[in-house]
This record gives sequence, C-alpha cells and structure tokens, in this order.
Amino acid sequence: MSVTKGKSGPGKAPTYLDRIRRLKERVLSTMPEMDLENARLLTAGFREAEGEPLVIRKAKAFRNQCYHKTVTIWDDELIVGCAGSKIRGGILCADSCWSVLDRELETISNRKYDPFYLRPEDKKIFMKEIKPYWQGRSNYEEWLAQIPEITRALRDHGVIYIDRKAVRGWGETTAGYEWLIKEGLTGIVNTIEKERIKLDITKPGDYEKDYYLQALLIAAEGIAALAERYALEAERLAELEADPRRRGELLQVAATCHHVPQQPARTFREALQSLYLYHTCIFMEQNAASYNPGRMDQYLWPFLKADLNAGIITNDEAQELLDCLWVKFSEPCLFQDALTAEFAAGYPMFQNVCVGGVDDTGKDAVNELSCMILQATIDVQLYQPSLSVRYSMAKNPNSFLRKVVELISLGTGFPAFHNDDLGILMLMNKGIPLKEAYNWNPCGCVETNLEGRLRHYTALADINLGSMVEFALGNGKNRKSGLYIAARTGEPNNFVTYEQFINAVKTQIAYAIRAVVAGSHVLDEIGFNRPVPALSLTFRDCIEKSLDYAWGGAKYNTGNGIILIGVADLINSIAAVRHLVYDTGLIRMSELLNALEKNFEGSDKLRKLCLEAPKYGNNDPLTDQIAGDIFTFIADEIEQYRSKFGKMTPGILPVSGNTPFGLEVGALPSGRKAWQPLADGVSPSGGTDFNGPTAVLSAVAHIPHGRFVQGTLLNMKIEPAMFNTENGIAQLMAILKSMCSLGVYHVQFNVIDQDTLLRAQQEPEKYKGLLVRVAGYTAYFTELGKDVQDEIIGRTVMQGISVG
Amino acid sequence: MSGGRQKSEMALTGSVLRFARASMHDGRGLRTVLFLKGCPLQCPWCSTPESRPFEPQRGYVQDLCTLCGNCVDACRVQALARAADEKDEKTVTFDPEKCQRCFGCAASCPQNAIKKYGHTLTVAEAVEQICQDEIFYFHSGGGLTISGGEPFCQAGFTANILRETKKHGIHTAVESCMHVPFSQIEMALPWLDHLYADLKQMDSRLHLLWLGENNGLILENIKKVNASCFPLVITIRLPLIPGFNDSDQNLRESAQFCAGLTNIREIEVLPYHRLGSDTYRHLGLDYQCLDLTAPSEKYLQERATFMRKFSGPLPVKTGSGLI
Repeated sequence: MSVTKGKSGPGKAPTYLDRIRRLKERVLSTMPEMDLENARLLTAGFREAEGEPLVIRKAKAFRNQCYHKTVTIWDDELIVGCAGSKIRGGILCADSCWSVLDRELETISNRKYDPFYLRPEDKKIFMKEIKPYWQGRSNYEEWLAQIPEITRALRDHGVIYIDRKAVRGWGETTAGYEWLIKEGLTGIVNTIEKERIKLDITKPGDYEKDYYLQALLIAAEGIAALAERYALEAERLAELEADPRRRGELLQVAATCHHVPQQPARTFREALQSLYLYHTCIFMEQNAASYNPGRMDQYLWPFLKADLNAGIITNDEAQELLDCLWVKFSEPCLFQDALTAEFAAGYPMFQNVCVGGVDDTGKDAVNELSCMILQATIDVQLYQPSLSVRYSMAKNPNSFLRKVVELISLGTGFPAFHNDDLGILMLMNKGIPLKEAYNWNPCGCVETNLEGRLRHYTALADINLGSMVEFALGNGKNRKSGLYIAARTGEPNNFVTYEQFINAVKTQIAYAIRAVVAGSHVLDEIGFNRPVPALSLTFRDCIEKSLDYAWGGAKYNTGNGIILIGVADLINSIAAVRHLVYDTGLIRMSELLNALEKNFEGSDKLRKLCLEAPKYGNNDPLTDQIAGDIFTFIADEIEQYRSKFGKMTPGILPVSGNTPFGLEVGALPSGRKAWQPLADGVSPSGGTDFNGPTAVLSAVAHIPHGRFVQGTLLNMKIEPAMFNTENGIAQLMAILKSMCSLGVYHVQFNVIDQDTLLRAQQEPEKYKGLLVRVAGYTAYFTELGKDVQDEIIGRTVMQGISVG
Repeated sequence: MSGGRQKSEMALTGSVLRFARASMHDGRGLRTVLFLKGCPLQCPWCSTPESRPFEPQRGYVQDLCTLCGNCVDACRVQALARAADEKDEKTVTFDPEKCQRCFGCAASCPQNAIKKYGHTLTVAEAVEQICQDEIFYFHSGGGLTISGGEPFCQAGFTANILRETKKHGIHTAVESCMHVPFSQIEMALPWLDHLYADLKQMDSRLHLLWLGENNGLILENIKKVNASCFPLVITIRLPLIPGFNDSDQNLRESAQFCAGLTNIREIEVLPYHRLGSDTYRHLGLDYQCLDLTAPSEKYLQERATFMRKFSGPLPVKTGSGLI
C-alpha cells in the first residue's frame, strides 16, 4: 500500500478514485443550508400522538420522519442515506431547541461561524408550523428557566460555557453498531419481544416498561421502512438509468437496502450500509455532534475477511466502498447556535472512527482493515470522519506505527494519536472492568467511550481557567464587567505567602466546579424529557431494563464531563506569581495588580519579567510541579461530586473554546495581554516552548492524564524535517513511543509546511509565535534574516524518501 | 574514591552555550546536544560563532530594537550611549572595550534584542538536564552529544559529565575539532561511546591559511585515538566547504588517511550551510562566507561517491548537517 496513492501521481491512482473525486466535489461545492423537513415531520408526528407517553410520541415522530422524509440517492453513490433532505443540511431538533433558530432567523445565513443558508420558504414553515407548536415546550426553554443562580452568573460572563447540551441532542456516544450489523433489526426486535412477554401490566412499573418497549418497536419499524424506501428508490432510478454499469450499481444498492438493516448483514457491503443507515437515523432523531462509529476495524473485519476469502470482493472494491462511506461522513453539518459554534467551529460532526489497539483478550487488534481505514482518510482527505488511532505500544506492530506516521506527514491533522494504555485506564477510572475497557474507543474530540454500553455527556460544560487567576487576583471580580461574580477570596495585596495565593486560586476553581455541577444536575433532570428510542435500540441493557438511554438504561452511566480550558494560562500565571512575587521578590503584588489592571500599558519591564518567568512546556521544574499539583486538585475536586448517574468526570479538550473564552479574560501574570485567546488543550501557550518536542511531552506528562477520564488534548507543531527522511520517520516513531511511556494520553500534529513558512515570511505580524529549529537552537521564524528563513523553507522539501 | 572528591567533581563548572534537545543530526537516535564554549580554531564557515570564545558574549539584534534606551540607562559603565548615525537617525552605540559583561543591558531590554550567549553550569546541573530525556534516548537509541565550541578544551568538565551520564546508562558522543593536546582527549575516552572527529583539510598550508592553525596536531590525535585501547566508535567528519576542501586531491588524501587507520567506523560528509549567518550579524562580525553557496544534494553525493573510491573498507555517508 502506498501512502501517496491519493495524490495525483501520474498514472498511479486507482480508477475508483475518479468516483471519489466526483463525490467529494459535490460535498465541497454545496453550501450548508438549514433543513427543516425533519422538524416539520417531527412536529406532525408529535401532534398526531398527543396524549400518549412522551417516549411513544418521540418514537412515532421519528417513525413519521422515516415514512415521509425525502429519500434521495445521488449520482455515483454506492452507500446511501441522509439524515435530512439535503446533502449538507443543518437539522433543527425542534423538540430540543427550536428557539435557537428563532433568535437567529435573520442572522444565521450570514453569521461569522458556521453560517447556514435559510430559504424564505423554510422560514415560513418555521413561523407557521414549528414555532407555534413548540413554544414553551423545548428542552432549551426548560434550561433557560431553570439555570441555578450560581451557574447563571458565571455563565453570563463567559466563565463557564454550559449551554451546549441544551441547544442540541445527546451525541457524545457510541451506539451498538456491531449488534445491529450482526443480528439486524430482526434480532433486536426478537430481544424486545422476549422482554415484553415477561411483563404483566397489572404489576406496578410494568406498564411503563411495556410502553417503553413499544416505543423501541416503533423506532425499529421506522428504520426498517426507511431502508425499504431507499431500496425502492434505487430500483426506480435503475429503471430510468441508461448506463448499464450504473444500473447494476443501483440494483445492488436496492438489494442491499432490501436486506439491511432489517436482517443480519452477510457481506462487507451490507455491513457498511447497515451501519450508515442506522447512523443517519440516530442523527435524525436528535441533531448532535459526536455519534461515533468507533472501532470499525474490529467489528467490520470479520465481514471483509470472509468476503475476501470467498473472492466476492477485491481489495480495491472494498477500499472504494470505504472511501464512499468516508465522503458520506463529511456530508452532514452540525446545526448549533452562534455561541456554541464559536466554541466548536467548522460544522463539527466529530464522528470518531478508531483503528488499532487491543482486542478483548488484550492482544494486538491491528488487521488489514485498520490500514484500509487509514488509507480511506489518505484517499478522501475531507474533514470527516474524525480518525483516531489507539496505539498500544506493547502490542501493536511497528509497521502500523509507521503507517500512522506516514498519515501524519500528509499534514491533514489526522489521525488523533491515542495512547491505548491511558484510554483503558480512563475507562477503568469510569468504573468499567478491564475486560470491557480493552474495547474502549475515542469519542468526539478525545473523550473516552464504550460502544453500546456507556451513557454520559462527555463534555457537558467548559470552565475558563484564565478567569480563575483573574478572580483570585481580584477578590472575585470579573475584569471585563467590573462585577464581583465569583468567590470572595480576599484582597490579594494581603496574601503574604504563596500558599495564601494558591489557596485563593483553588477556592475559585472549586467555586466554578460547584456552579457547573449545579447546572449539570438541572440538565440531567431536563434530559429525562429527552428520550431517544432509536439510539437506545442498540443499547442491549436499555432493552433488558426497559429504560431509555436518557433515563440511565445503558449498562454503565457516569456523571457528566467537566472540561477545563486554559491549562497553560493557569500554570504559567501561577508560576509567574510564585516566581516573581514570592520566590525572588522581583516585583510586589501591588505592582503586578496595577500592571494587570492597565493591561501592561507602561509596564514593559514588568511584562518582560512576566514573560521570562518559567513557562509550561519547557520541562521547567517549577511549572512541572505546579501542573501536577493543581491538576490533581482539580480532578479531586470534580470527582468528589456525584450525580444521579455517578461520579462527575474531568477532561481537558478545548475544541475551539479557548478563543471565545480568551475574549472574557483580562491580562494575566503569564504576560498574556487582555482578551487574547487562551492556550488550547494541554498544549503550551503558543511560542513559549523553546526546548522542542521532547521537552513539551515531558512537561505535559506532569498532568495526571489518567484521571482526566474524558481525555486530554495535545496539539503539537512539527517540522517536515521530522519525517522527510528515513531517520526522521524513525525518530518520530520513537517520540510517539516515548509519549506512551511518559503516560501522555493524546497528541495531534500540525505540520509547519512550506506554505505556512512562506506566508509567515510575507505576513510576519500574523505568525509572531511560530518557532522553528535553526542551528542547534529554537527561534521565532519571523525574527530570522531572510537568507536563514529561505534555508529553512528549503529544508521542508521532501528528500525523496520512499513511503509505503 | 572519597565522597568528597566525587562531590567536588559534581560541582565543577564549565562554560556552556546551550542545550539542544531532540536533535536528530548529531549521532544516532534523539540526542541532547550540549554546546560548550571556547574553540581553538576559527573556521570561517562556523555555524555557531557564538561558541568560539570561552566567555559569555553579547549579541544585538538590530531588527528587534525600538531604541527605547533602557539598555543605555541600565549600563553602569557607559559602554552604551544614545547617538545619531550618519543619516542623523537615532541609534545606540556600543563600546566593547568598556563593557564589563554584566549583561544588565540584556536584562533591561523589553524586546529581547540583546542576547547573552553563554553561562556557567556545574556538572551536576548539566547531568540533570541531560537525564530529562532518558525515555526518548531509550526508545530512539539516542543519548548525549557534547559539541561546541571544542568539548576537549574543557576536558575535566567534559570527562566528568560523560562519566556521570554513563552512570544513567545513557549513550555518549563528542564532536571535536581535535586541535587540543591529546592528554585532554584521553581523559574522556573511558566514558565515550562515539567520537565524531573533524578532518577539514589534509594540506597543512591551506589549513593554516583558512583556520589559523596547521593540521599536524589534528592528524596526530586522530591516529592516537584510533590506537586507543577503549572500544569507542570513531566517525571522521568532513564538512564539505566549496572552494576550500572539495577538491579531488583533498578528498582522495582524506579518504586514504582514514583508510589507513584500523578502528575508524565511517566517514561522514556534511554539507556547508548558512543557518549561522544571522548570528554573525548579531555579534557584529562579518560573515566571511557570503559568496559560498551550499552544495547541492547531488554534488554532495557525487563527492562522497568519489571519496568512497579511496576509503578502502570505510563507508562514506552524507549527513544533512542541519545542526
């Protein structure tokens, strides 16, 4: 297999890539639009079922969508399905949050982050059919009415972001795709019927169980009917089709959709189609990010292996089907409100697909399909699916790691590289036994998940860590508004010792966590009114307990995820105060407060001291120690809270929330000026890591990753010199193994390629923090002389190594 | 050995330019390169001119300077002064004669336009830093490389660091110009796994003309190291400088010299590069190699192939020479 296969190598590209290019072109040339068909059908379904239990109404509304939604098969498609009526539609989840669109009716077509074009006729449907029915009834409205006071104050000042779950559906879960593919809806329905027979509705509690199981059956009926509609549409198109080749393809689509997901899949093709149709259904049921296909290389491999052995498919044909599915994953666009879009920009569906790792006996799980999945991302190079690698240093072969490095070198940002042992540890820390934890999968961004068995919001709310320092140095005052909104931790000028200062920071963090937990409990309550029968259908325990996913029916439940943003800003600010005010006495607290108040205006010398104080990411003993202490405190603090579903769970992943959060935070002792973005994930602040990748990883390892069970995200910049020679590839492999030894959980690489450097040369002011290696030292690229810059640009060129 | 002596050896200080971690170009695997200061040669193409003198040096990056004058106020001996240049533009002048190298100017500069090249470090401090990347050495087969400057000029410091580093099971290498008394090299050999010895020019007159010293001591030292009883690996490195040492004659003689030695592992040809040219400007020095162009990959390969004809059993490799 060649890594360059997807590129325009003369005469080398396999022919199926022509189809993929055409499919891709259609996605790339289609502008995201609001798609209100689902909302309309959902509303009609709810209306018809007035008076019935909520979950039955939800199931009937879902079935109504399946019966009546537009069914389209586009040219060239081999895998079919679409959650809405348009390729790149934003689906409004009316029962969750119709009012979000109400607020943005006039702006959504042109808003800054993730605009959706809203057609005038759709606007009319919204005003006439959707809004009048749902006004006063959506989950979002319940939330707005019930936000606890302590939570609201911090929420309204950008200290916490906690609306995400109220403006979209569940997401952040891995459905039981494997069960559906293997046993089909028929098998699942049998299981439901068996449970139903056991019930006696004269017994207290059994009536609720009975109507719940009925709701599941209604959802299953809907899914089966939708597949059948695709089969009929394919047959209709086949009849009209003049090209015999395409007619054959359409008939094959028809045959496939007649069979799955109703029946168990018999072939790789059927397995893919069964997976995708169900995948669109759960997205249709509730618009949300992070419905994760998970370990596709594990549950699909038996199908592919059998097909290959039986000679009914070739490797290229299988690759083509996978690539087609990859394009499908890039079609849907996450609809969210303008603010949420700022926190996760780019219509991010976060459909996380994972390869590698170990099987449930703990042994190497890499197979041929793992590499084909990597190849699909190399071939297609679209923004979805989110491709993750579970790398088990002990078990996965070097050849697999090398393939991963080759994919990294393409500079797409994929794959997200996960340390398998840490992922397993995190799941165990969520209370899941080792045998099952072996089967974990990355979820959404870098969260941890378990297919068909685990329920929680992995990223319920974000806490702005920059604000924590601001509050500690302002006795609870929010600099932007001038209001005292947080804990009153005392006048900082009276902090005689470092301990007094750090205790104030910790008190502020504890206060913010408390505010989030209070809000989380409210959202859990509201979540009970948000049953998801189509999703629950593939959670075996939901059937056995006759309890919806939303009600805690999954085998494992934990408290929601609380996400920390601004890790480096927090550590660097604490370190600067400790170093400058307490350890060396170079500046007085009052001088520092004064400079921060004025955003360092006229305090060049003081700011220089702040900037030169130890910085996280350089493996400095002071920042390393602070990282360990403060993040142990944070994990302890979060874990001491429980919800109805279990222990609350910490995580560190920013998506893009570090930018809007930064807008809310004034100047910090780290030397960061007011209203600038915060650092992302567990990464060092941009342009402060002078000691190269080994120092970054060694520093980052001081955060106790295993305790942040919703994952930790590290972004690293990498120069092409790391992988454009055989030696470089070997060293990057060694770096990744070292990262695993150090206990760092995740890393994702951005390649500093030639284009980046050329742009930095032309627009230096935009690339001020860009660090590069020169001759044995690290320097800001924009501060180098032109000739040296040119020499560095020159070395980004591939040095003719063979890959693949 | 008494604990007291051990302690004093750990407290021994050296003059250090900097550490570079995760280097891929100074030996096998991922390496921490410790650059020492002080070099007996004056190679005009040197990519780290700030490593030549033993003492810390002051650098000035004019492009970053905003002429705020903080440094002038910070200087206690008036080595810095506000002035006007020939175009009557504001400027800051520096008198190196007056400067006492307190580096108060560097500390006062809000733009970091004034650099301090070099500081002192104890053996213990150096070893602590080296050990930070232990895990990376383990997975990559890397380790420590002491470079410079000339490591053997600070022979005691170098030997002690190597000895202490070996106690942690870390692979050790030294890059040397070999223009030092052999006794200073000998001190390090028991703890050295890999020696990179430079061989720049076989013609002693040209050597003297370009580098300020003839090559007699260097050739002699290479022979002595080759004959040493310690099982270290020796690589002869030849920086390929167009117009100075890339002639057929020099390459042939260099190859033949190496081929005559029994314990050399390989010859490595490194291309000249100009990544250090900025630093000359910052030091107020002329970059004498402005007219030189870096040899192309093709030329480098061709020259290496040529050498291989005369190197007997020795392989001739080409390195990227980036660091």
